Amino acid sequence: MSLTRRSFGAMSGAALAMSFAAFVSAGAVASFATTAIAQESETLVIAVPSDPAGLEPGTNKAEPVGSEIILNVFDTLVAWKAPDFSKLEGRLAKDWSISEDGKTFTFDLQNGVEFQDGTPLNAEAVKFSLERTKKLNPYVEASLGMIEGIDTPTDSEVVIHLSEPYPAFMSILAQPQAAIVSPAAVEKYGADFAKHPVGTGPFAFRAYEADTRVVLDANPKYFRGASKLKRLIYRIIPEASTRRLELENGGIDVIQQQSQLSAVPTEEMKAFADNPDIKIIEKPSQIIRQLEFNNSKADSPVADLKVREAIAHAIDYDGLLSGVFDGTAERVYGPLTSNSWAFDPKVKDLAPKYDPELAKKLLAEAGYKPGDLNLKLYSFQGSLWGDVATFVQANLAAVGINTEIAQTEFPSYRALHVAGDWDIALDGRQPWYNDPDAHITIGYLSSLKDTAMTFRMPENKSLDALILKAQQDPDMDARKALYGEIQEDLVKEVPAAYLFSPNLIVFTRANVDGLVINSAPPLTEYWGVSKE
Amino acid sequence: MFAFLVRRLLALIPVLLLVLVIVFSLVRLIPGDPAVTLLGPGATRDQIIALRAQLDLDQPALFQFWSYFIGLLHGDMGHSLKSGQPVLNEILIRLPATLEISINAVLIAIVVGIPIGVVSATRANSGFDHSVRVISLTGVSMPAFLLALLLQLVFAIWLGWLPVSGRISPYFFVDRVTGFSIIDAWLSGEPGAVSSAIAHMVLPTTVLAVFLAATLGRFVRSTMLEVMDEDFVRTARAKGLSRHDVVYRHALRNSLLPAITVIGLKFAEMLGGAILTETIFSWPGIGRYMYEAIRNRDYPVIQGATLVFALMFMLTSLIVDILYAVLDPRVRRKMS
Repeated sequence: MSLTRRSFGAMSGAALAMSFAAFVSAGAVASFATTAIAQESETLVIAVPSDPAGLEPGTNKAEPVGSEIILNVFDTLVAWKAPDFSKLEGRLAKDWSISEDGKTFTFDLQNGVEFQDGTPLNAEAVKFSLERTKKLNPYVEASLGMIEGIDTPTDSEVVIHLSEPYPAFMSILAQPQAAIVSPAAVEKYGADFAKHPVGTGPFAFRAYEADTRVVLDANPKYFRGASKLKRLIYRIIPEASTRRLELENGGIDVIQQQSQLSAVPTEEMKAFADNPDIKIIEKPSQIIRQLEFNNSKADSPVADLKVREAIAHAIDYDGLLSGVFDGTAERVYGPLTSNSWAFDPKVKDLAPKYDPELAKKLLAEAGYKPGDLNLKLYSFQGSLWGDVATFVQANLAAVGINTEIAQTEFPSYRALHVAGDWDIALDGRQPWYNDPDAHITIGYLSSLKDTAMTFRMPENKSLDALILKAQQDPDMDARKALYGEIQEDLVKEVPAAYLFSPNLIVFTRANVDGLVINSAPPLTEYWGVSKE
Repeated sequence: MFAFLVRRLLALIPVLLLVLVIVFSLVRLIPGDPAVTLLGPGATRDQIIALRAQLDLDQPALFQFWSYFIGLLHGDMGHSLKSGQPVLNEILIRLPATLEISINAVLIAIVVGIPIGVVSATRANSGFDHSVRVISLTGVSMPAFLLALLLQLVFAIWLGWLPVSGRISPYFFVDRVTGFSIIDAWLSGEPGAVSSAIAHMVLPTTVLAVFLAATLGRFVRSTMLEVMDEDFVRTARAKGLSRHDVVYRHALRNSLLPAITVIGLKFAEMLGGAILTETIFSWPGIGRYMYEAIRNRDYPVIQGATLVFALMFMLTSLIVDILYAVLDPRVRRKMS
């Protein structure tokens, strides 16, 4: 026994002394906040709620933090044009053309673009990237999986052949999964490429510390001109109250919108509104939240159109927007948001309006006396969903429908939903690429009803054919007309009570300039941002 | 003593095995599929099936257990479903962050809690005793998140003395050598890095320390009061020892033994991660990591981390037992 009582005493004494020393010196660091950090004005610190999952196109599964970092480190062939993001512009592609049958896409690449490792961007690199992601990433199996072959007739020309016409393919090419990677870096790092991502983008990857931060340094040779910022730091701060205090304190410059999807940030909005150091940027999104009906359950009360209409008329849509969201959400009238290029304005008139008396009458016609109809209202977890569920519950109670709210954890909720074992449920979709296809096909195509959280539409040959035609028609005007028809058909069927579309909300320090929020999906490019 | 140690270490093996079996089955009883969680609400069935196959989740549970177990014997805890990194690495990366605030908190709690308990006991029912009891009761009952928020508000926002969260200012580039932020900051030689690291540590450490100091103070007070009533204390007094010698040489030594158990258990708990404290202060420790893993149904991480917690808990209680032997000759005699 070498550890004696005396040596134990001595050791613990030393340990105590050390801890004391640490704390005494902590008292001397009051001036820490102002210690000279020269590059502070050229560094932008962004708070995100969770770690990125997959920092390269081959592993990215549309997880928001990683997706945004990819879009700042890499470039895509095309991108949505700021500030309204309704038209595509060339990025690594100077120009492009689409064959008449909608199956062949030809891109003319920018000249003289270099990856951050100094190797040149060429047609081979584009072919290599897309084929690599197609092989590695199961998330894009349905979209990039359509690629039959890629030709590279010259160094600056890429020809992509699809198995079927798919106009939304251009939108897919603007997504982080389709970003172009440096083949030399992939070869160099192999399986570790995600730890050393190399692209052509305005910021080069510098460091990632788990649960702490991701650091990107400006790429001085960026082909569109170097960014005014010298550095981007993504700080991972899971707790909303901590993010808020950090922003007030100047410890961070931007709070990202991804942080705001599970709770209504009304409190922050109010706290920040009077703070001259903080700017609030708000923008409509293409996210839709709805009270969904199980449209494929024959023995459900909501199989009756009159019951669905009654429920849709019972909800006080404007009250929901002002009462629960305090103006931070927009009204949704049908299967697409009003800011979608394919939105059909006629849907505004066709959509059910708040009319409790009519709701009661419709219920009576369907054979239900007040209090007869009892339903379980399923919902996601989280305070936002809880508030919405309570509001809907009160609205339904007012017309004589009893509901029991069941907030369910996501994986279990999904299992239950896909199994079709429910009548009414709160649900929603955030499109991961900017095309009506992202809402309509997955949501309403009857053949997909058991494969994802959809509206579980019953088989309807004419509607299904219409959806597939709109998905594939290469003529954009024709697509718009087809989506108009689909929206009108759907709204008449009342597959859901469309509730609201939450705004994208970003909080920044007042000196942050040039930040533009993309509406679908909400991924921000920081190339044009600066700090005054 | 050596035989005792070997016996105790061997006894860890069946316990660890049991922990492993229980955690492995419990994790799979939680409803929800990790592939679904990873892919999010927009995923289609084909995407989920493809990912399940990629992650081996479509294999029978027994097969998964066996391959996990064989891996463990080779020191391989599998890979995190979310990050794709080896679980053991991920845990080891985060362990120092948790260790540094836990160790500091325990040391502070000892320095503050024990003297308070002693003074409180020797002056039982005095004004000092009453105020200490009220304060320590508050310390024990105050939820960690509330204390954390209050401290952030006062010291970071109002006074501006300390940073809100994080482990070091994000502007520093400190290479990871030991994983302990103060030491690494010192090794980096960057001016200001050490004071930044210390400043970031003050609030989370305080939150952890307050609870433990209050618990310890209350505990030492009550054991001291018991011990002061014992025969040997009366004997010590009767033979004319000074009050100081009676309290510090006889009563305190005997009441510290059970306090060591409390400190050991609380320390082991902290190593399991102070989830709330770590989350509120964005402290990249093991508690926060475990919490994220449970939310993401990251099976290999939950299994690996639980195993490591169990191991640390058992080692801590082993150390407590050894300390007992060091401090108490009766126990030492029994062992040999």
